[in-house]
Amino acid sequence: MGGLERNYQIGDDVPSLVKQVTQEAINLFEASAGQTGPSQFTDEETARETLGTTGTVASGRMSVTFAIEMLRKYFGGDVFNHTGMVDLRFLRPVRPGDTITFSGKITDISREANGSKVSVEIKVQNQKGDTTGVGKGSATVPNAYLPAEE
Amino acid sequence: MVEADDRVLLDWDALEVGETFEKYEYVLTQEMIDTYRKGVMDTEAGFPTVSHKVDVKQYNARYRDDGSVNARCAFYCYGPPLPGKRLTVTAWIADKYLRRGKNFIVTEAISVDEDGRLIDRVITHELKQPSEVGKKWGG
Repeated sequence: MGGLERNYQIGDDVPSLVKQVTQEAINLFEASAGQTGPSQFTDEETARETLGTTGTVASGRMSVTFAIEMLRKYFGGDVFNHTGMVDLRFLRPVRPGDTITFSGKITDISREANGSKVSVEIKVQNQKGDTTGVGKGSATVPNAYLPAEE
Repeated sequence: MVEADDRVLLDWDALEVGETFEKYEYVLTQEMIDTYRKGVMDTEAGFPTVSHKVDVKQYNARYRDDGSVNARCAFYCYGPPLPGKRLTVTAWIADKYLRRGKNFIVTEAISVDEDGRLIDRVITHELKQPSEVGKKWGG
């Protein structure tokens, strides 16, 4: 079991994740679900009419995807893909050309019926230092993966 | 020829929390997964279902409105979907609320594959006055 052992402490930082958001990436994200028509995400005129912005914005769900990636890499896909969650509030638009950085910090560890739930606060900032999103995430880590209690 | 839009104009006051939509089904293809992974720049991204926005798919099929902006989104991972599998989505109106004079709708959806595997759950808070984005954040 030694090879599985992982250690989590309240206050630990989650390694940050940096993403450069391009219009091409936004278009691929939308197209992956068959959404190929003009939208506020892919078409400037539609964004202007719908949102009142001069340009397109990225779907908040792209930020959700990136937060999932950050936590999956931290907890491991074997844990996060089956017990993980993220919950983000979107505070500012993310636009093509933005570089956004996701960071996280462990805020709580609690015993659950199926392991230990490790909770993380999440923050998303753009290249100007503006916060574009905040929220939380968690994963339930099997106790078999954790150091034995004293 | 333009098809007639027979969707119902949203009456936010009349919208009932708990309203459940017709099930939505689709097959997740390898091409969808590859395109998604390229778009999010993550070759191991396990939940391409995120981009399908399935919680609002049937809402948008039933109602027309002025559009929306995603204000909050929660996503629960239960098991990555497999390519070629048919996914069935059950979605419903989970909540609605008025905050600072603006209307929000909360949709929730659960996806299950054809083998009965639970895939994910998504909850989204949508602001139904999307022009607020331009007013607040400008161009």
